[in-house]
Amino acid sequence: MVTSPVLQRHPDDSWTLAAPRTVNPRTQRVLLALADAIMPASPRTETTLEDVTRHALVCLQYMPRSSVMAFVAGMRLLNWAPLWRLRGLRLLTRLSRDEARRHLVAVTQSRWLPVRMLMYGPLGLFMSTYFDQDCAHRAIDYDPVPFVEERIELRRKWLEGEEPGADQEIHHLPVVPP
Amino acid sequence: MSILAHRDYHAHQTFDAEVVVVGTGAGGAVAGAELAEAGRDVLFVEEGGYHPTSSLNPYLTESIPRLYRDAGATMIMGRPPIPYAEGRCVGGSTLVNGGMTWRAPERVLKEWQDLTGQPDLGSKALAPFFDRVEERIHAKPQHPVSVGEDSRLLEEGARRLGWRYEHNRRAQDRCVGSNQCLTGCPTGAKQSTLLSYMPRALSFGARCLTQVRVHELWIERGRCVGVIGKAVNPRTRRCDIDVRVRSKVVVISCGAVQTPYLLLRHRLGRRNSQLGKNFLCHPNAKVVAIYPFDLHAWQGVSQGGQIREFLEEGVVMAENAVPPGTAAAQIPVLGEEALEMMRHYNRMAMTGVLVEDSHAGTVTRGFDAPLARYSINAYDHERFLRGVRLLATLHFEMGAKQVVLPFSNMHIANSVDDLRQIEQTQRSRSTIELFTVHLMGTCRMGSDRRSSVVNLRGELWDLPGCYVADASLFPTAVGVNPQVTIMALATMVAQRVEVPN
Ligand SMILES: Cc1cc2nc3c(=O)[nH]c(=O)nc-3n(C[C@H](O)[C@H](O)[C@H](O)COP(=O)(O)OP(=O)(O)OC[C@H]3O[C@@H](n4cnc5c(N)ncnc54)[C@H](O)[C@@H]3O)c2cc1C
Ligand code: SF4
Repeated sequence: MVTSPVLQRHPDDSWTLAAPRTVNPRTQRVLLALADAIMPASPRTETTLEDVTRHALVCLQYMPRSSVMAFVAGMRLLNWAPLWRLRGLRLLTRLSRDEARRHLVAVTQSRWLPVRMLMYGPLGLFMSTYFDQDCAHRAIDYDPVPFVEERIELRRKWLEGEEPGADQEIHHLPVVPP
Repeated sequence: MSILAHRDYHAHQTFDAEVVVVGTGAGGAVAGAELAEAGRDVLFVEEGGYHPTSSLNPYLTESIPRLYRDAGATMIMGRPPIPYAEGRCVGGSTLVNGGMTWRAPERVLKEWQDLTGQPDLGSKALAPFFDRVEERIHAKPQHPVSVGEDSRLLEEGARRLGWRYEHNRRAQDRCVGSNQCLTGCPTGAKQSTLLSYMPRALSFGARCLTQVRVHELWIERGRCVGVIGKAVNPRTRRCDIDVRVRSKVVVISCGAVQTPYLLLRHRLGRRNSQLGKNFLCHPNAKVVAIYPFDLHAWQGVSQGGQIREFLEEGVVMAENAVPPGTAAAQIPVLGEEALEMMRHYNRMAMTGVLVEDSHAGTVTRGFDAPLARYSINAYDHERFLRGVRLLATLHFEMGAKQVVLPFSNMHIANSVDDLRQIEQTQRSRSTIELFTVHLMGTCRMGSDRRSSVVNLRGELWDLPGCYVADASLFPTAVGVNPQVTIMALATMVAQRVEVPN
């Protein structure tokens, strides 16, 4: 549980995030299909998929137009992956999550650099967003806020003259194993 | 008025100052603060927003768009393509950097001195600038309370293999190892320019326009007399208000990619076509080891020290624990497989190999953004392969079960034996996956106008009144984390700026 207002998400202190970019319904469908296939199917909450795609649209607002165009064009090409890979006649948006993922895995592992590059943007964006969600943090046992809060407090005391002792050092192993 | 933002601007506003400094990162903040301290009326213009310590948190989805250029989606084109990151906020890249403070090595400074034929860039002349900078950003060794298990593990590994390991000196005041440097230090310990040089500049009367992107220089009768930009609406991201600043002197400190992009708009540097050339990026290959025990590498400073055994060959190795979102984005597996891998996050030691550039790329003007081009050459590729193999060997020596390698066709090594295949399977430069945060060298400083972009005062050879003070000044690669060298050069430039009466 977050106790410190300092570390909460979306602090209300003039940090305005850009409004998500508006895209046409077709692009929106491709975005959803790609995010769904790239992210782990679980754990997710009811809104995870929506949150992740919404965040992708927010990020697009921060990019120059040429990058946005390249990103959207790359997504369209990925949507047609079954066709240009000669592995099917249906677009990714029409496939099940598992089928779509199989195509994307193949693209990610392609021996051709330009083909692999198609996945750089979507993989980076969706994975970094997914693994920033609380449900994913819980799944991997990552909980930075209490630790950071404890460290902020430690520094506060240090500034007041209380130098930290050995008991405040960070140890998880008794000794580095032989 | 000290710090203004988008909401404060009116249509077609013109500000006046003696010196306008574009950018508030390692170069800009230092140059501006030094000039303000010398009694100059300084106005900073910064494209990013002002984000105080109290607003920083550990969430990538909030930090990356606000603090990083293009929400982190920046790429150098070449073989292989290299994603890069730079800050876009008050503090520039120093707000999101790791805080390491290594001076450029003696041999590099000797090379700079020899190249320019002048003592100015030699270690003796630069020493007072380094001293001054290091004092102002509190460049100090880490307190034991801030060091995490991954740092200790790497140090122990180096000791066992007989390699030189050196503890980092970092820009920090009572760092407690919260490991949030890359999303902005929430404890106030890291002495980014947001907390060191900018407050100093403001205390000497400097002002700062934030959320304004400079698009062009204001040139009159062959002299630079200001800058012209547009305010960026933080909600719509549209550049919707014209902002002009008239000044006697302009200092450009937009970083090694954005500075040449801005200058090239005016077709400067055409005489010797050096502007935008000599682009160096000190690339980095990730080596992530998975141990059979928990390390919690996300607790403790992101980098406690560096393996410097191979520094003379231009190779440095270090740990660098990143948040799970960043780690997952760098491991090219999807779906459940990614989750399985990330379930080992607490057991990961995230390390990397940095190789000093032995050649350079270019930055040119693209359609609406800079186009950076750089391909690693055979020699650098060979050093990467060796560096990755050696670092992975260290991890197996320390008991790692698996090592994730930076090769698209060979992702996992399960034993030292697997590492023997690296040199055979990695013949192509397209299969290595690199990343960088150290961009340098596109407006090289020199004493000869035929081979450099700015003179030893930092002023453009072909545009009086326009100075450069940032990473683009480097004549050659430094092979180490560059921020203090940038700051030292910016201090030197600030002292040499000539403001006309
Ligand atoms: C994640 C990360 C980790 C790093 N770790 C380390 C480290 O541990 N040690 C180290 O020595 N170095 C490190 N570095 C590198 C170091 O921070 C940079 O080399 C250094 O900050 C570059 O200084 P600069 O002044 O050239 O550019 P920057 O610090 O990037 O500043 C440029 C500023 O100019 C602004 N700007 C750009 N264009 C315009 C425009 N047209 N109009 C208005 N404003 C503009 C930008 O918004 C930015 O604020 C790291 C960098 C990153 C990104
Ligand atoms: S480790 Fe934490 S306390 Fe130390 S400088 Fe980085 S963010 Fe700040």
